[in-house]
Amino acid sequence: MLAKTCLMTAFDEDRATDAPTREGAGAIERFLRQVERRALRMAELATGSRDEALDLVQDAMFGFVRHYGARPGAEWPPLFWRVLDSRLNDWHRRQRVRGRWWVWSGEKNDDEGEDLIAAAPDVREPGPLARLADGEASIALDGALHDLPMRQRQAFLLRMWEGLDVAQTAAAMRCSEGSVKTHLSRALANLRRSLGEHL
Amino acid sequence: MNEPRKDEAWIERATALLDDSAKNLDASTLSRLNRARQAALAQPRQATRRWMLGAGFAAASACALVLAFGLQHRWHASVAPSHEAAAQADDVDLLNADDDTLDLYENLDFYAWLDAHGGGTSG
Repeated sequence: MLAKTCLMTAFDEDRATDAPTREGAGAIERFLRQVERRALRMAELATGSRDEALDLVQDAMFGFVRHYGARPGAEWPPLFWRVLDSRLNDWHRRQRVRGRWWVWSGEKNDDEGEDLIAAAPDVREPGPLARLADGEASIALDGALHDLPMRQRQAFLLRMWEGLDVAQTAAAMRCSEGSVKTHLSRALANLRRSLGEHL
Repeated sequence: MNEPRKDEAWIERATALLDDSAKNLDASTLSRLNRARQAALAQPRQATRRWMLGAGFAAASACALVLAFGLQHRWHASVAPSHEAAAQADDVDLLNADDDTLDLYENLDFYAWLDAHGGGTSG
């Protein structure tokens, strides 16, 4: 009886916390609609692959809705970018481990039957989208952003493109505000140098 | 002095290019994004259903446990005689007992003491 009472109470509490989430489902959807394209481009610039980027964005959406969907809407932007940043960090870590393993094994992956590095998409290579967008400048920008160290790229994209303030960017990147300023300043210097006359 | 303004100009251009690239995503990519979003939004309801399933199992386990305890208790109650029944049985034994047995009952404390001190075995 006691066990049943406890279970009923827990069930009622769950329904109470779940209700605003359901009511706010429309708001979450609108928010995700607003950020998903930029999130995809950010992930694409980090990974150099549209497919990888789509997987990462999907993962980030799942994580965001699961962990922060019930939070007030005003808190969503830095939280969403924080989840995506975390997924990008994980992806980079996995790539590093894979890279180390390749070096350690010292042999070509015969199963694939092709040079995976050569087959990896080159962000400098103009796709149809880039040609449609703004030609050379767009390609150069993608390449320069892709070449930036990850933290610098994230600081630039979150501060300059997404428009987060320093505190929100720091929360999204899980670092101090001072680090954000340092990363951003280096990113701007590197971009200015590499883009030159393109912009 | 002109450096920040120069920065401002190219940053503005860069963000405009990034906006364009995000705006002009192809239909297949947009469709995949849409599916990903819908799947993510459908997730809490699935989680609730999983929770309810878990709660159902927990409630069923709790009921089974309570039932098992109850049955065990009833079984012990039916098998083990109560104090009253035991006393009645003793009375019946006493009515049928011979002299030695009556002596044993009358001096039960003594025989217990004797047994405890090993006196009974020495003769």
